[in-house]
Amino acid sequence: MGIGEIWNTIILQPMLNVLIALSHYLFNSFGLTIIVLTIIIRVLMLPLTLKQLHATKAMQELQPKIAEIQKKYGKDKQKLAQAQMKLYKESGISPTGCMVPMLVQLPIWIALYQSIMRALAITPEGLLNLSRYLYSWPVVYSMLPLKSQFLWLDLAVPDRTFILAILVGGSMWVQQKMVTPQTADPQQQAQSRMMLWMMPLMFGFFCLSFPSGLALYWTISNIISIGIQYFVTGWGGLVKVTAGRQTGRDKKYKKRIAQVEEVPSYEADVGADIVAVDSAQEEGVDYEKPGDKRQDRGGGYPERLRAIRRQPKRRKGHHPKRR
Amino acid sequence: MWFKRIFIKLPLSSYLFEHKSILGKALLLLVMLLVIMGGSTGLGCIEGLQPIGWSGGVVADGILFVGSKEGKLVAINIATGTDYGRRQWSESLKMPASGGGLFGCMGPAYGGGCGGAPAGVAIYGTPTVSGDLVYIGGYNGKMYAFNSSSLVMRWVYPRESYLKPIVSGPVIVSDSVYFSTSDGVVYALDAATGDKQWEFQAGDKIWSTPASDGTTVYISSFDNKLYALNAENGAKKWEFETEGSLVSTPLVYNNKVYVGSLNRYLYAVNASDGSQEWKFMGESWFWAKPVAHNNVIYAPSLDGKVYILDAESGGEVADAVDLESSIPSSPVLVDNKVIIASQKGVVYALDTVTNKSRVLADIEEEIYSSLCASDGVIYIHTQDYTVHPVDANTGGKLATISLKISE
Repeated sequence: MGIGEIWNTIILQPMLNVLIALSHYLFNSFGLTIIVLTIIIRVLMLPLTLKQLHATKAMQELQPKIAEIQKKYGKDKQKLAQAQMKLYKESGISPTGCMVPMLVQLPIWIALYQSIMRALAITPEGLLNLSRYLYSWPVVYSMLPLKSQFLWLDLAVPDRTFILAILVGGSMWVQQKMVTPQTADPQQQAQSRMMLWMMPLMFGFFCLSFPSGLALYWTISNIISIGIQYFVTGWGGLVKVTAGRQTGRDKKYKKRIAQVEEVPSYEADVGADIVAVDSAQEEGVDYEKPGDKRQDRGGGYPERLRAIRRQPKRRKGHHPKRR
Repeated sequence: MWFKRIFIKLPLSSYLFEHKSILGKALLLLVMLLVIMGGSTGLGCIEGLQPIGWSGGVVADGILFVGSKEGKLVAINIATGTDYGRRQWSESLKMPASGGGLFGCMGPAYGGGCGGAPAGVAIYGTPTVSGDLVYIGGYNGKMYAFNSSSLVMRWVYPRESYLKPIVSGPVIVSDSVYFSTSDGVVYALDAATGDKQWEFQAGDKIWSTPASDGTTVYISSFDNKLYALNAENGAKKWEFETEGSLVSTPLVYNNKVYVGSLNRYLYAVNASDGSQEWKFMGESWFWAKPVAHNNVIYAPSLDGKVYILDAESGGEVADAVDLESSIPSSPVLVDNKVIIASQKGVVYALDTVTNKSRVLADIEEEIYSSLCASDGVIYIHTQDYTVHPVDANTGGKLATISLKISE
């Protein structure tokens, strides 16, 4: 069995057949099916997406300290790597924390993209090839070929009205803007600006060439990403933060970062003692000695940030007095 | 150790060092494998997005006419085995309605992107010869008539604009040429001049070639219906609705119309009134046009089997012949043998007397095109731009004919 066959059997075929069968229950509308399946898959992938976003955010927040280290050990690559690893370890961040969840999701996205393209069966070769991937479910056979009309779109051909291209490009720009870190480094700023415009323009341009079914999937996926991103980091770089216009969420993050900044540098012991005591009590543990190592809960989120975030609200008669 | 120090600098390997459990490592390796697989099979162009074509051949007066994958009508003198003459189509290959498309993935009549697709108009229908003209339709939405001896173009329809892509082949009845387009329109043109006589609009796409018994034109559509049209004026005589889309070309035999459906059924319909005579269920789509002989229907299916059915009752006359690979190409009858080709390139001879099959030849190339026979030789147009002549009796492979103009 070749690599392609394994891929088809374990990932592509199940998704493709589910996609076709689902359209039967969604009023034979392939457009609606693309939307619903994209939402289902995004929801199923949500834990991984959140993990990735948290890790990315944590990495961004650690950037000033990394820059510091780079400045310090600029020429000694080995020491630099060691110091970086130490910093990651002490902060509870896994440098791959944002990469692994993304890697897990990637095959799913590729399979979804392939399923949509194959199910559309635009050419005679496409329809003929599709027959090789079908399960012997009667519902699948009765549905094919799928009806490609949806709203004003023929999902099998590119949208010539530019509406989808604008939607894809626009939604991608918003998403990019939200994740773009604000930096003072002019080189990084230029890089970020280029990414901010290049990706949306590129995908908007793709929409004029690829079947609109795929563009529909990109649009829905981008909108969901924006929603998830908002709940994790707020509007991020999208809203220009001024002293008077900070949202509650922004304030919260600013406060949290400020709390981290107060903690001694990466070389010092990262204890977060106050929190440790609180957390221990919260979990029903009598006490926790300062310096005791706390279990890393993973997620690539800095332990300090996580700890601060988890700090319970002080309530009367509940919080122990510190002496 | 030095290599460990280098290794931990790599992002993924540092993850491995951090997560030492076997399960974690196995999971990570699996993910990496899936990404590589997805990248290798998924990020490129998907097979089947680019129209390539699978025109069959037709022989008239010792000349084999076939639509090449380079978008050309090729005429070959099969008596000498040398090229009789090749003419490039003079019409523009561009599709004004939908343009090219990036990466060659979406250009309806373009190539040069996915999997070495040809840079020419895709041709699916088999050419038809009548009188001194040879007719051929292109995926660019044009129907052409060429002089069969000189390959000089006599007419093209439409002259200026383009129809929707033509997957259907042309059929000649009396002085008319019939064909259909992907937007579900059946056209009747004057065979000599290319002037339109009538058109009929079906409910959905049509990819099949019309069939005719002289007075009626039968056409199957994606709208699940088989239509019977008056060949004179295009008036609908009757329609027969099935439970699945119809892609295969109908077969007219003994006052019945046989048509395969994507719901895995082969239908037999009364040609006079459009009532159902019987239906037979296979294990996959009936894609290719069946063959009839001695009141028996030989119906190939994409499940890799050729079903041998009584033309009157639809009952199985003999056990289905399993070719172990799907059968998209239409078989051909030579003497008492039905010659069938599997997609994988194995050619079989099915004896209509004993209903036993034997392997005739292994072409070792994918076969989608309808088979063509003349003087005991089968001409098979494969996906590698080549026509493979095979002796229908001995299975001997004759000298192949390349359809690449550059060679």
